[in-house]
Amino acid sequence: MFRTEALRSTNRRQNKPIPKIAFLAGWVALLAVVPVIYILIRALTGDPELWQRIIQTRLIKLFSNTLWLVLAVTSGTTLLGVSMAWLTERTDVSGRKIFRWLLALPLAIPPYIGAIIHLALLRPHGGLISQWLEGTNFASLPLPNPTGFWGAAFVLVIFSFPYVFLLSGAAFRSLNASFDEAARMLGHTPWQTFWQVTIPAIRPGITAGALLVSLDILAEYGTVALLRFETFSSAIFVQLAGRYDRSAASILSGVLILLALVILYGEFRIQGQSQFTQIGSHWRPTTLIHLGKRRIWGFLALLFTVLVSFIIPVGLLLFWSAQGILDQQTISGMQIGSKGLLSFIFNSVWSSGFAAILAVLFSIPIAIYVVRYPGKVSRLFSRISQVGYAIPGVVVALSMVMLVNRFLPFLYATPLVVVMAYVVRYIPQAVRSSESAMHQLSPNLEEASRLLKRNALQTFVQVTLPLILPGLLAGSALVFLSSLKELPATLLLRPAGFETLAVRVWIWSEEGFYLQAAPASLLLVVISIIPLYFLLRRETIFRQ
Amino acid sequence: MKLEIEHLSKHFSGNQYPAVNDIKFSMQAYEILSFVGPSGCGKTTTLRLIAGLERPDQGVIRLDQHIISNTRTFVPPEKRNIGMVFQDHALFPHLSVFDNIAFGLKGFTKAEKKDRVSELLELVGVEPLAKRFPHILSGGERQRVALARALAPKPALLLMDEPFSSLDAHLRLEVREQIRNILKDSQSTVIFVTHDQEEALFMGDRLAVFNQGKLEQIGFPETIFHDSGSRFVAAFMGDSDFVCGKSMPSGFQTELGLLEQQNDYSPGTDIEIAIRADDIDFELNQQGNGRIINRFFRGAFNFYRVELDSGAIVHVFKLHTEIFQPGDRVLTYFNAGHPLKIFTR
Repeated sequence: MFRTEALRSTNRRQNKPIPKIAFLAGWVALLAVVPVIYILIRALTGDPELWQRIIQTRLIKLFSNTLWLVLAVTSGTTLLGVSMAWLTERTDVSGRKIFRWLLALPLAIPPYIGAIIHLALLRPHGGLISQWLEGTNFASLPLPNPTGFWGAAFVLVIFSFPYVFLLSGAAFRSLNASFDEAARMLGHTPWQTFWQVTIPAIRPGITAGALLVSLDILAEYGTVALLRFETFSSAIFVQLAGRYDRSAASILSGVLILLALVILYGEFRIQGQSQFTQIGSHWRPTTLIHLGKRRIWGFLALLFTVLVSFIIPVGLLLFWSAQGILDQQTISGMQIGSKGLLSFIFNSVWSSGFAAILAVLFSIPIAIYVVRYPGKVSRLFSRISQVGYAIPGVVVALSMVMLVNRFLPFLYATPLVVVMAYVVRYIPQAVRSSESAMHQLSPNLEEASRLLKRNALQTFVQVTLPLILPGLLAGSALVFLSSLKELPATLLLRPAGFETLAVRVWIWSEEGFYLQAAPASLLLVVISIIPLYFLLRRETIFRQ
Repeated sequence: MKLEIEHLSKHFSGNQYPAVNDIKFSMQAYEILSFVGPSGCGKTTTLRLIAGLERPDQGVIRLDQHIISNTRTFVPPEKRNIGMVFQDHALFPHLSVFDNIAFGLKGFTKAEKKDRVSELLELVGVEPLAKRFPHILSGGERQRVALARALAPKPALLLMDEPFSSLDAHLRLEVREQIRNILKDSQSTVIFVTHDQEEALFMGDRLAVFNQGKLEQIGFPETIFHDSGSRFVAAFMGDSDFVCGKSMPSGFQTELGLLEQQNDYSPGTDIEIAIRADDIDFELNQQGNGRIINRFFRGAFNFYRVELDSGAIVHVFKLHTEIFQPGDRVLTYFNAGHPLKIFTR
């Protein structure tokens, strides 16, 4: 028996040598998963008394607050996103092409900037609309309370729906006309066809979008903090920044991560199913639905959505910025010590850019390993490297504080910790882009290169890399965009004096200087639009 | 011998049967060998094992008397001096036609590269396309550029994996003749993989017929066709029908009557006879042994499908003027001018 065992093992080594890339991929997966494991261990080994106290006093309230918000925002974005996608992809409403762009652009506005504008307009007494109403006969008109659950849900829906819009738009676009036509020929009415053929076919796309939104809402800090609606993220932030209580923060984070991992698991399962919506070689676009007299209503729905989610916010930011620049006092308020807007821009761009480059570099071994050596191990590595989706910024910050203090103390209180947090949090986006780029590359090209006398490394440099480069750039643009907008981890981890645009916007608006925050907010949006434009051009619905 | 292969085997984990099962053959220089067989028969895996794109479980591969693969040695593909034309051509989309062809010319000076590439552009007849990029080439042009790229480094052996399968049917006939001439002019040693019997017969100096991971038979096209080594080869290569019978000292007794043919079988052995459409004939006869089920008009002749009373199906060629109706009773009989192939049951 000993002999056969030995024979088997040599045989296996010979047949399937473990590729070197597996070791690199393993390191990346380890890097990505250590923060989660560390937090979970800290939470599980937390003081039982503390657990008891948290369960009794906080947990139920936080759980219900967080879940209700996730539920409300996810349903809201799904409803809004799918209807907008349906209007622009399947009907003959006018201005579809321009609306597609306008509906995607709110992705350049971080929800907390949306929340700032929301408050600047609607807060009782100080808000612009409230002030304006006080001078008129409508002074006694009861305005809705802008804060709390409904305020947070509203702001998050209007700035998160583009995820669902893009994914379901792509799904609508990829539907082959023959599905619809086959259903009609089999005697279904257009209405039955829509519910029995179209919706089931695009369901994976919609679900994937909705689950990504849920993960985003679990992680959202800025909006819920500004609008005073307590969720796990904001509670953890308070524990860390206000009370310096890492044990309580660890316990809350452990629960939050478990919640997020469940959603992420669902998202992984959906990923496998979205295959059948891909565009085949005989694809024909479906014929548009003629809305007839109802066209005007479709148009108004689109117009209202883009007004609320993009045109009004950006318009106001422009207006307030102009106002601020003309006003001497506001402009001098924008100077913090010797530092001005330029230094905030510089900090934002270099930290996000550095994180984008690192995330993409780390994602390459994972992508090569999982695509070229498909199997249980490589898929596990790929998924492990994507757990960052499930770690909200506050939790990343917490684990970084503890890990860096313990193992890399020389990094503590340098901006590099902030960059590391961005990498851990957003490497999943890079991994997905790189994997899809690798998937599109025929392995025959690499094999052809090997037979034309190139070794594995030369093949990577001369064939693989130039061909997957657009996908890698897209991945880095995505990480750059996300890092630029990141707030809680930056706030918690930044060394004193390291201020990015997001940090500055936050500090000013927390102090109530909404107008002073406008130029920085506008800059953040404008800088975000550059990578966003590059990313959107690659989306299915913007290709001809 | 140019290429020698012994006991070559490969089993992919998760599959019930080995993809390549103990294969042995050898090739002369300047020879074109066709690998043919149904899909999943192991012909492409064998090709990839020779290329070094897969690792064999066991077996020896020798190229020009050097071992390139055995249990201890595995020469990586880039060091084997083997060229390959892929099914999808695998032209590098980021390189021009010129750069694609020059890609394998490692260690050449710039001038040498230019000379060699123009030589090949001329050989395959695509000189005007040197600066183009692969995505604007037609299927036939891509085919020729892929061949030029594989031939450029003067490989000891050229492998072609179903290279014509992405071409339209009418283009395929034209291109394969051009390609065969180029291969012969450049004195290449070639293994050509296809699932199309007719293409295999056209391209190969010799044929190797694969089935379920095994090499069923290797030989000259005429031998494979007329002297099939197994029932599978006769069925796959020759479009043969089979009729059962028993051996007798003077021949074989079947429902088509007695086939007179010398044989060494002990009398009474159960046998099957491989029959092609030109080996038998029929005439209308109410007391016959079968019934016409279909007539296919093929221009110069009619092709009849006949169901014998035992249920066996046979096919028969007739002149285009001889028209009979489905349902007609017929008497089918042997009409071959040569010995037929017999297999024991």
